Amino acid sequence: MPEFSTEPFFEIARRLEMQGETGWLAVLAPVADSTAALDQLQTELQSILQKPARVIQLEPSTFEGLLEALHQPDDDAVILSSGTGLKREKWRSLDIMRSALERKGPVILWLATGDVANLVEHAPNLRSFIGGSIFLAGPDGGIMTETERQERLKQLSEHFQLTDQEVVRKAEVGELSNEPEFVEWLVLLDRGDLV
Amino acid sequence: MPSSVTAPEGQLSRRDKYRAFILAFNPAAHPSDVIQSGLVIEDLHLSLYRNLAARADLEPGSQQLLVGGVGSGKTTELLLARRWLAGQGLVLPVYVDVSRYTDLSSFNPGALLASLGIYLDAWVTTDDEAQASSGTAKLPEIDAKIFDFAYGKQEMRSIAPHDNRQTYDLARGILGGQITVNIPGKLKPPFPSLSRDIREIQAPLEELLAIIREVRKDVVIIFDGLDRLLEAATFWSVVHQDLRLLRKLRVSVIATAPLSVLFGAGVGQTISDHFDRVQHLSVIASDHVSGLLQSVLRKRGGTELLHPFLADSICDYSGGVLRDLISLARDAAEEAYVSDRDSITGADIEKVAHQLGTGYLRGLGPEAISTLLQLESSKSFDPSQPGNVELLLTRRVLEYSSTDFRVHPALLSVIPRPEPKRA
Repeated sequence: MPEFSTEPFFEIARRLEMQGETGWLAVLAPVADSTAALDQLQTELQSILQKPARVIQLEPSTFEGLLEALHQPDDDAVILSSGTGLKREKWRSLDIMRSALERKGPVILWLATGDVANLVEHAPNLRSFIGGSIFLAGPDGGIMTETERQERLKQLSEHFQLTDQEVVRKAEVGELSNEPEFVEWLVLLDRGDLV
Repeated sequence: MPSSVTAPEGQLSRRDKYRAFILAFNPAAHPSDVIQSGLVIEDLHLSLYRNLAARADLEPGSQQLLVGGVGSGKTTELLLARRWLAGQGLVLPVYVDVSRYTDLSSFNPGALLASLGIYLDAWVTTDDEAQASSGTAKLPEIDAKIFDFAYGKQEMRSIAPHDNRQTYDLARGILGGQITVNIPGKLKPPFPSLSRDIREIQAPLEELLAIIREVRKDVVIIFDGLDRLLEAATFWSVVHQDLRLLRKLRVSVIATAPLSVLFGAGVGQTISDHFDRVQHLSVIASDHVSGLLQSVLRKRGGTELLHPFLADSICDYSGGVLRDLISLARDAAEEAYVSDRDSITGADIEKVAHQLGTGYLRGLGPEAISTLLQLESSKSFDPSQPGNVELLLTRRVLEYSSTDFRVHPALLSVIPRPEPKRA
C-alpha cells in the first residue's frame, strides 16, 4: 500500500511558511507519544512562522464554538486536532462548513491514523484544500538525529555560502535576515536565543 | 532579529521566485482574490457565467442550478456572473455563501431567505437612493422582522386551558396564562424544528423588494456553498421551500448543487425538473493540443519554474480538476524548493502526484478498487449506483460528460493491481 511522505516537523513548518498566510496541510500523528509530538509541532510552527500557534480540538466543538475559535484571532496558525479520531458525521459537518473555516492564518489538520480515509470519504471539500499536502510525522516525532542535523547545517552553509560562525556573528550584531532558513539555522546551532 | 537581507545575491531571489509561484498557485485562496489578481481565465468554460447571468437578468424569477464536482470552479463562475450583472447597472446581484454563516448540516429551510433578507435590509438602509424611495415604508419594523426570522426571538404565548403544562408553568411564576417561548432563528445553529411558517418572511421581503425595484430593475440572488450538501435528498430538503417562495417573489436564483443531483437515481431527476436550467460544470479533459489546462498554468506564471512538457504532466495528473491542477503545481514547486532545486523537475511532479493519489486511495475497499479497475479497462460506469455516486462525489471518478467517466489519474497511478494469476 502506498504511503505518504514522512517529514520532520521543521520541514513541515517550512513548507507551510512557503505556502503563505492561507496555507493548509495535514499531518498524521505518530501512534506513540502523539501529545509530545503535537507540542513539538506547535513549537516548530511558532519558530518558523514567527507567529503564535494554537491547538483547537475538533471534538467536542459546535459550529459556533469552532467559528469563534478560528476567527478570534484569525491570523495566527491553528492546529485542528482530531484527537483519537472523528466520526463520519463530524467530518461531514466540517466539510459543509468549509467556507466558515477559511481564515487569514494557516491551518494544520492533526489527524489520527484512521482519519485520512474519513477526510477523503466524507469531507472532499476540505480535502481539496489540502491536496497532496498530507505528511506523516516521523516515528521519532520529527526529532532530528545528529547526522541529520549536521547534514542540514551543511546544506544551509553551501546554499547561502556562509559558515555557522558567520551566521551567529551576523545575528549577534542584528544583520541577519529573519527568513525562516536563518531561523532554522540558529535553532539547529542551539542559538534560538538570537531569533 | 531585524529583517535585513544578508544572503548572497541570487539566493533570496530564488526564494522570492518560488514564493511568488507558490502564492499564485494557492488552492485555498478565495476565488474573489484570484479574480481580483487577474489570475483567472474568464472564458475557460465558454463564458458560462455570462449565460447564467443573462438568463437570470432576462427572466425574473428564473431558477438555475450550477452543478459541479469539488474544485471544478463553481465559485469563480458565480463571482464572474455577479460582476457581469453588476456591470449591467440595472440589477442588484446578491452573492451569498450560505455555508459561511449557518450550519447547513442541520436541517434548516428558511436559511436562504434569511440570508437574502439580511443582505437586502442592509442594502436598503445604506443606499441613499433606496432610502429616498422608501417613502412611508416602515424600515425599522421590516428590519426587526428580518432579524427576528434570522436570529430568533422571544414571544409571549397563551396557554390553552387543556394544556397540562399550565400547572407546571404557573408553579414557576408564569402569570395570566402566558408563557415566554424562544423562537429560534434560521441562521442560528442548531435549531430543532420546522414549526414556524416560512411565509413569515414573505411580507418583509416583499416590502424590501418593492423599495429596491424603485431603484434597480430586479434582484438576482446567487447562493454558493449549497453543493456541500453532497446528498441530493439533503440538498433538496434544505432548499425547496425557500426556492418556492423566491419564485413567487420573482427573484432570480442561481445556486450551486452537488453532482448527486445529476447522477443520483430518483430524487436527482425530481430536483432537475424543478429548475429552469441545470448547468453541469464538467471536468476539463487534459488535451496537449488545445492546451486549455496549460493556459491556466501559464496565466498564473507557471512557465517561471515549469518546462512545457512538465506542465503537460501536471495537467495529465490533475485529470482536469482545476483545484487539483493548482495544488499539484504548488506542491511540485514546494518540493523543488525544499530539495534546493532551481526549477521543478519530473521527479518533483511524480512525488506530489503520488501524494495526491495516495490520499484518494485511502478508505477504498476491495469492491471500490475493483469498480475503478473495471472502469479503467472497460470504460463502463453506472453513476446511478449509490457506491458509484460516492466515487464521483469524492473525485476518485471524474465526469467529462454524462457518458464519459474516468478514474482520477493521480489515483490510478497508485492503485495496487491484482497479481497476475499463474498458469
